[in-house]
Amino acid sequence: MKQMLLGVYFVLLSCSPALGAEWEDIVAAAAGQTVYFNAWGGSQPVNAYIEWAAERVQEKYKVRVVHVKVTDIGDVVSRVLIEKSAGKDTGGSVDLMWLNGENFKAMKENNLLYGPFSRKLPHYALADIKNKKNLLYDFTVPVDNLESPWGAAQLVFLYDSKRVPEHPQSMGDLLAFAEKNQGKFTYPAIPEFHGTTFIKQALMELIEDPEVLNHPMIASDFDAHTRPLWDFLDRLHPRLWRNGKVFPDSASRMFSLLNDGEIHISLSFNPNAAANAVENGELPPTVRTYVHASGTIGNAHFVAIPFNSSAREGAMVFADFLLTPLAQAKKADPKIWGDPTVLDIQRLSPEDGALFDALPRSPATLAPEDLGRVLPEPHVSWVQALEKAWLKKYNQ
Amino acid sequence: MLPLTSLGKSGFFPVFIMASFGLTLLAGLLGTVLPSLDYLPVIGHTRFSWSPWQEFLSYPGIFSSIRVTLISGITASASAVGLSVFWACCAHGSRTWRLFEKALSPLLSIPHAAFAIGFGFLIAPSGWLVRMVSPGITGFSSPPDWILLNDPYGLSLAAALVIKEIPFLVMVMISAMGQLDMEKTLLAGRALGYKKEQIWLKILIPRLYPHIRLSVFAVIAYSFSVVDMALILGPGSPPALAVQILKWFNDPDLSLKLVAACGSLFLFALVGAGIGAAFLMEKILGFFLAPWVVNGRRRSILTRLKPLFLLPGLGIMGITGAATLLLVIWSFARQWQFPEVLPASWSLKFWTTGLVSCFYPFVTTLLTGMAAALLGLVLTIGCLEHGAGAKRKGTRNLNTPVFYFLYLPLLVPQISFMAGIQLVLVVVNLDGSWITLLWSHLIFVLPYLFMVLQTTYLSYDQRFWDQALLLKRSYFPALFRIKLPMLVRPVLFSFAIGFSVSVAQYIPTMVVGAGRFSTLTTEAVSMASGSDRRALAVYALLQQALPMIIYALALITPKILYYNRKGMQV
Repeated sequence: MKQMLLGVYFVLLSCSPALGAEWEDIVAAAAGQTVYFNAWGGSQPVNAYIEWAAERVQEKYKVRVVHVKVTDIGDVVSRVLIEKSAGKDTGGSVDLMWLNGENFKAMKENNLLYGPFSRKLPHYALADIKNKKNLLYDFTVPVDNLESPWGAAQLVFLYDSKRVPEHPQSMGDLLAFAEKNQGKFTYPAIPEFHGTTFIKQALMELIEDPEVLNHPMIASDFDAHTRPLWDFLDRLHPRLWRNGKVFPDSASRMFSLLNDGEIHISLSFNPNAAANAVENGELPPTVRTYVHASGTIGNAHFVAIPFNSSAREGAMVFADFLLTPLAQAKKADPKIWGDPTVLDIQRLSPEDGALFDALPRSPATLAPEDLGRVLPEPHVSWVQALEKAWLKKYNQ
Repeated sequence: MLPLTSLGKSGFFPVFIMASFGLTLLAGLLGTVLPSLDYLPVIGHTRFSWSPWQEFLSYPGIFSSIRVTLISGITASASAVGLSVFWACCAHGSRTWRLFEKALSPLLSIPHAAFAIGFGFLIAPSGWLVRMVSPGITGFSSPPDWILLNDPYGLSLAAALVIKEIPFLVMVMISAMGQLDMEKTLLAGRALGYKKEQIWLKILIPRLYPHIRLSVFAVIAYSFSVVDMALILGPGSPPALAVQILKWFNDPDLSLKLVAACGSLFLFALVGAGIGAAFLMEKILGFFLAPWVVNGRRRSILTRLKPLFLLPGLGIMGITGAATLLLVIWSFARQWQFPEVLPASWSLKFWTTGLVSCFYPFVTTLLTGMAAALLGLVLTIGCLEHGAGAKRKGTRNLNTPVFYFLYLPLLVPQISFMAGIQLVLVVVNLDGSWITLLWSHLIFVLPYLFMVLQTTYLSYDQRFWDQALLLKRSYFPALFRIKLPMLVRPVLFSFAIGFSVSVAQYIPTMVVGAGRFSTLTTEAVSMASGSDRRALAVYALLQQALPMIIYALALITPKILYYNRKGMQV
């Protein structure tokens, strides 16, 4: 393994000497640093994977990575914000954080992020930025190298094939399913981001002119464009779990509901979530995955360095390690975590490519080619308006 | 010895507590009040205005959130107090009561969140109770779509709160009972022809209540501002106000922090109103029931209702026991689906993984809890000694104002209070150090230590103290060789309470500790944000085990120390 990694470095170093020299300095400065990696800690497989990665960089670079297990990365955004307001521009308590979407937007807008570091990472060159636009635009907000990609995500639906003989293919089908199976579907209450993604997906499928979603929202047209969505939700809600009077607070909670048979269809952002959950017994072996025929929303998740990190170099070394084919392939293994890679597999060396070819396939999840079209996120301006409107209509 | 002696007498402890708590509170309060008035420079809000309040009051579903908080908070605190009182009246001295007393420590040591998870899995439509009778009796092959949990009124939350709070109130009552000459009162009452439960209700409770009043207030504050249990059992959208505040705080839209600050102040006001109402109620009841107390009637409806009021005790023990048992089963489960009563397959994996990853959190939890409880005891005893001295000599007792400082942290919603403190700590570069972490735990440990120890300590028989001084000639030997050894039982018990309060702290640990310190609770809470109930069960049980061990030690130690002293046996 080590030799292979070294090989990759050698290739990369030889292509861009300037980058190589700078990176060597970074690696040298990183040795001995402690990186406080603030990341959601609600999943044992993910925690175990982070621990494994931490051990590797400790061995190889003498960088100590401590996983600060948080329940909500919003906590950490608050902490960095408070440090900024207290004038603590160096020696901050957070060195690296796992985030995306609105939290990234908030940090970027409030200048809470350290500079464009991802282009300094040797393995960033392998990231599939050509084909995966959402590595450059995090929920349509330009990433500007302020965060380094970690994993790809796509909205998928999980269903129990024992109880659902034929899965829906569209939002229309889903409504028909709900009408036939009272109370067997639900989605997390807005503004939980799986919930928000679900209504964004519904809007994309139902809106007359999907093209408008790629542009900033115009307030005067909002009602007209979103009317089909609210009509749909008005019809769907009485058919939902608990008659739509109660919503679960997270997609995690929906996993338990699926296992308990309270609902028959759940959703996830990790296309391989079902494989991992079936593998470790969290969900029954009859669980399968599907996507809608017209495609589903895809995005990515990243790691970023706060502006006042006290171990920037160490954080970069860790972020780079997370992008190595070795780390990415291990992460993509459904037995370990099952989180899809952000690398361009075509561009990997044969040895590295073989790591991905060797990954086990599970019947619980779709093969990458069956995941269908990946839809881009609607322009970020739609999100807040949608959330506000949903809360106003249904949060009573 | 002399300087130390004078330290105790001069009121050093009360003054120290007032000064340090006062500063902490001020920081916390400023950090809440300023943002609520639109002042938070770091996100560009520098002009004072009422706009956060307008946004707060027009936030969708805000009135439903307030309603949930009011309904669940009032139901929970009123039922907890009512049931504890009636239960004590009817059950005290019975076999159930003695059993309950034995079960108190485990009941108290179960963390709220862990209990909520077990309780939820017990009563959910897909839960254990329904599984027991499915599909056999009910015919359900998939769970019924009933709103039993997360109901829009917060009643399931209230039920769980009541179950958690009654043991706490009963514990406080028991510790206060030592102050009343119970046996004599009961004997005299019996001789006059009153039934036991009447003596309790008419004579003992009115005398007991002043001793438990502060605990009742703490119960009210807790019921209104609980977050962890409300996340699990409360409604989701809109959630209880305390949960909504937390959501605002963590929202990527940073301007919602201003709204969160308004929410915190509003919740603070609700708690204040709740406590005011309880106080008023006490006075009104006292006024109107006075004639009833002396009406001389010997017959009471309570006698007939007596069997009914034995139920709460049994119910609490049964439900808590079942909830814990469920956690144990989950922790060994691999696959467990509806309607199976027991898991289809088992695994030790979650224990092995959990135990390995919990080593450092375990050590941190133990050390911090021990240090907080110990330091808390020193401060509490220091204050109480000052109070005792003042009472003896008729000098000014500085303890009265201390209580206000002590109890305020319990009444303010933790999350906003902590955000203010965090700002100050970051400014003075003290965040993320163990000492400040310890301090933040102490803020919440100290009030409970006071609550538990105060009455027993202050009613220590003056004649013993005079004898002790005569024998030992000076203050400290008398304190350490005579008085404290005699009080070892309540002191150790309050130590255990303090320890378990420290163990339960999540927000202070994360906020003040800057993520540098992981404890069993931070591990358990982060697990709770995931979906894996098996891993969560392991962490919840580990989190529960440590306080339970400390409670057990606190109960056993005096028995071992004084096995040969008849007067010290209980």
